[in-house]
Amino acid sequence: MLSDITIGQFFPGNSPLHRMDPRVKLVVIFAYIVLIFVPQNWAGLGVCVAYLLAGLLISGLPARLLLRSIKPIVPLIVLTTVLNVFYISGGETLVKWNFIHITTGGVNNAIFIAVRIVALIMGSSLLTYTTSPTTLTDALERLMSPLKVLRINVHEISMMMTIALRFIPTLIEETDKIMAAQKARGADLESGGLVQRVKALVPVLIPLFVSAFRRACDLATAMECRCYHGGDGRTRMKQMKMRRSDGVFLASTVLLCAVVILLNILLASSLA
Amino acid sequence: MSVLEVRNLSVTYATGTPFEKTAIQGINLCFEQGDLVGIIGHTGSGKSTLVQTLNGLLRPTDGQVLLDGVDIWETPQNIRQVRFRVGLVFQYPEHQLFEETCYKDIAFGPKNMGLSAEEIDARVREAAAYVDLKPSLLEKSPFDLSGGEKRRVAIAGVMAMRPEILILDEPTAGLDPKGRDTILRQIRAYRDENHATVLLVSHSMEDVARVADRVLVMDHGEVAMYDDTPAVFARAEELGKRGLSVPAVTRVFAGLRERGLPLPENAYTVEQAVAMLLPHLRKGGDR
Repeated sequence: MLSDITIGQFFPGNSPLHRMDPRVKLVVIFAYIVLIFVPQNWAGLGVCVAYLLAGLLISGLPARLLLRSIKPIVPLIVLTTVLNVFYISGGETLVKWNFIHITTGGVNNAIFIAVRIVALIMGSSLLTYTTSPTTLTDALERLMSPLKVLRINVHEISMMMTIALRFIPTLIEETDKIMAAQKARGADLESGGLVQRVKALVPVLIPLFVSAFRRACDLATAMECRCYHGGDGRTRMKQMKMRRSDGVFLASTVLLCAVVILLNILLASSLA
Repeated sequence: MSVLEVRNLSVTYATGTPFEKTAIQGINLCFEQGDLVGIIGHTGSGKSTLVQTLNGLLRPTDGQVLLDGVDIWETPQNIRQVRFRVGLVFQYPEHQLFEETCYKDIAFGPKNMGLSAEEIDARVREAAAYVDLKPSLLEKSPFDLSGGEKRRVAIAGVMAMRPEILILDEPTAGLDPKGRDTILRQIRAYRDENHATVLLVSHSMEDVARVADRVLVMDHGEVAMYDDTPAVFARAEELGKRGLSVPAVTRVFAGLRERGLPLPENAYTVEQAVAMLLPHLRKGGDR
């Protein structure tokens, strides 16, 4: 049950998308997330979706995985769709009954925005599916390094993120084991009202916290044993190098931006 | 009738995903009342999965677990009652200790059973006595104890439910020889005094040889052997093929036999070995 979480999960592979410089990937995804909100017509949005599908094809991941990443945000999509259908009017009236007033414009907008959200989530999932968490935080550190001028310790922030990401699966596994041990002593974690359920969590949370602190101490000792002293003067085992394929990818993103903006200017808005 | 019976038991994890894995397959077993069974097998052989299905922590994909002849999943609402009768102690005490004092921690199980305060008190003290825990320790925080003491508190926490079947997963891992001896002796005592059935999962052949009446060997999710302890350790070669070893004493005896000493094959504890070797030493002295 706890192991069903797929957000932020990494699926190792050897596709061009996996091998791409993570910094480029981050920049591209950031640009893509902004870009997804630019198109005002179906043609522009279509181009964005096509770009996403191309990325999926290159990654070689099963489309099913990407669909699964949508699952946690289905309620959000449903909510925004419903709100859009009811509150936006324009075009022909489809249903008119009491206070309910549904128009073609509303339906059109609702679908448009739902597609936008789905494309947004899928795009960022594609990033986490093809990039290991450590590489990702590494890339973040490099990209944020100009912030050092502002006396922000970028290395420490990224090290904290790396450690946090690294220990999520460990703690999930530990929680499963603790729950089993308490259930074996008759702990009832599945029934009762809200108050009872929260109370029942105490025997699980306390060992979990104790073990998290113990792990933190052990980790700190292990890091000190290897003479870790922060980011100053630290070199890297894995150097990040931009390659031609990265350039091509960046260029394609710039092209995508241009096309979407051009379509916005040339075609009329499809939104009500 | 066997107190605990397993019929055609299979457990598959993550069914219907690419990570699908069969942990145990088509197992049939009987445990008689009063048996002390050692369960051995290397990592991933299905030992842990098997013991977790026995007390209903895992629901079998196929097959049945019969407790006194009744399928434990017949009424899923009552699965907690099964867990009180089939006590399972996990390997890491850190996973279950959470109360302010050892006393309260040991009382957690009996409290969940809904017993009266006096009954709980009696059981906590009884269980603490089984694992040789000093009364002064009962008022201490379980987090201040040594590794061996934590292990004993954890075992007491399950014994306090007075399970008819007590299952222990690696109860001696990481303990010094003295702590190991104590725990094994206490487990035997619990079995003898309560006519309980004890299943002991262990990596240590010496431990199993010392206390178990019967040995169950698991391999690749199936039962490889299930027989009386001497009979299992007599099949040293077969155990070796499955990546397991026989107790060190048995190996020494095999070596001595190769060198021509007429020794029997059924030595697997130090005490037996001493008894068998002494006559030979005397003979040597006469020469």
